[in-house]
Amino acid sequence: MILELDDVTVTFAAGPPLRRIHLDAMRHVSLSVAEGETLGLVGESGSGKTTTSRVALGLQRPTAGTVRFDGRPFPRRRRALAGRMQAVLQHPHWSLNPRMRVGQSVAEPLDVLGRPAGDAVAEMLEHVGLDAGFAGRYPHELSGGQRQRVSIARALITRPGFIVFDEAVSALDVSVQVQILNLIKDLQAEYGFSALFISHDLGAVRYVADRIAVMRAGEIVETADTPTFYTAPAHEYSKQLLEAL
Amino acid sequence: MRKLDRLSIGGLACLLVLVLFALGSPAGAGGDPDAIVGPRLQPPGPGWWLGTDNLGRSVLPRVMEGVGTTLLLSSVAVLVTAVLSAAFGILAGYRGGYLNELVMRLVEVLYSFPAIVLAILVAAVLGPGQTAALASIVLVTIPLMTRLVRAAAVAVAQRDYVTSAVISGAGLPRVLVRHVLPNVAGTIAVQGTYALSVGIAVEGGLSFLGFGVQPPQASLGVLIQQGGTYMIAAPWLILGPGVVLVAAILAINVVGDGLRDRLEPRETRSLT
Repeated sequence: MILELDDVTVTFAAGPPLRRIHLDAMRHVSLSVAEGETLGLVGESGSGKTTTSRVALGLQRPTAGTVRFDGRPFPRRRRALAGRMQAVLQHPHWSLNPRMRVGQSVAEPLDVLGRPAGDAVAEMLEHVGLDAGFAGRYPHELSGGQRQRVSIARALITRPGFIVFDEAVSALDVSVQVQILNLIKDLQAEYGFSALFISHDLGAVRYVADRIAVMRAGEIVETADTPTFYTAPAHEYSKQLLEAL
Repeated sequence: MRKLDRLSIGGLACLLVLVLFALGSPAGAGGDPDAIVGPRLQPPGPGWWLGTDNLGRSVLPRVMEGVGTTLLLSSVAVLVTAVLSAAFGILAGYRGGYLNELVMRLVEVLYSFPAIVLAILVAAVLGPGQTAALASIVLVTIPLMTRLVRAAAVAVAQRDYVTSAVISGAGLPRVLVRHVLPNVAGTIAVQGTYALSVGIAVEGGLSFLGFGVQPPQASLGVLIQQGGTYMIAAPWLILGPGVVLVAAILAINVVGDGLRDRLEPRETRSLT
């Protein structure tokens, strides 16, 4: 198992000290991602998908429960995991620093590790279907689809074992979505990374995921293999979601 | 990138003229600002193009020196403000938590003083002089700039490229310097120009009250204060430095507006 969440609860507190409201963003969530597997996480807005991704990436400490990456508990310092997990995030508009050239952005994860980038940037850009010349451009010169390709190149450059795609295609046009989803599948076949693919779009998840987990109000209501889930969902809520598709 | 509009180019030209005008003083143009050249309180004429003051000194070189003093003092103070505001605003905005609370409460305390009262307080502690004027400008301009830099940093901190950098293992200095700072630099530049015009006004006010630059050194505030005494008998004494002061503040504000339109295009424009 590359990633295991065991009985994870995350509680946020808000409001003034005496009338503080506690809100569970995740309630006793257990899920796991195996080597080379893609787990699709679906659910409506506010169901706790993004909190789950933040916990999986070590950006959010769970209130209770344990998280294991590659069989070991999360290290205290994020830096210890640098380069071994990456993410492709939601907004193509904000995924790249507007003041950095594309090449610098793609090279940054290597830079952080103190490894020389060399030809890796050009190679990686070509791998995600972009011309090597894109390295010299600024993000505002790119389309949404191109920016997500650059994000994917940046995520892959350290050859991580695990990548989180948090609504990575949701903001794109349908035709571009398909291209990016195909790219993700091709790259996964080539590099063999595991993935947590988070989306509210059941169609997109079906395309890339091996297994599906359904979240509602901070809880996992169902986990099933993709074919099983789409043909015979077990939980009432899953049925509703599929009917709405 | 869009170019600056005509109004701001006019403002920029006006500033350039003022700087050249100020640079003329150490270069010796217009004569010695402290030399007595003629009778007292003479209206403008040959030999003293802006008239003479109550000691018989020519006003023109004194205005040239005064503009230089005021601009230099304000610019240095605003640079100090920019560096401090950038550091505190970015840290507070990005880290949040107790540091944010501490910085914001301190800034609010400073903000609650009227500018000139704060400046007089500083002058009372440090003693009148250039140092007091400089420290006053810094303390008066720091609250607004820190707040705005913090607000910009809060927005930037939530953007995906910052999260991506953190996930990649980038440390705090790297995130702040490479991701946050370049993306709040526009705010710093725009606020810097406004701070400069506030700085000029504060220096003028403080020197006018006698707590800032001390005579015989000239600054716009000193000149206006001295000219005010003879406003009826010799209005040219106050007219020269007054016009220059207004021109400088107006020009800087117009340039600031232009800069804001270019760097933060979504902001609406308050003037024009």
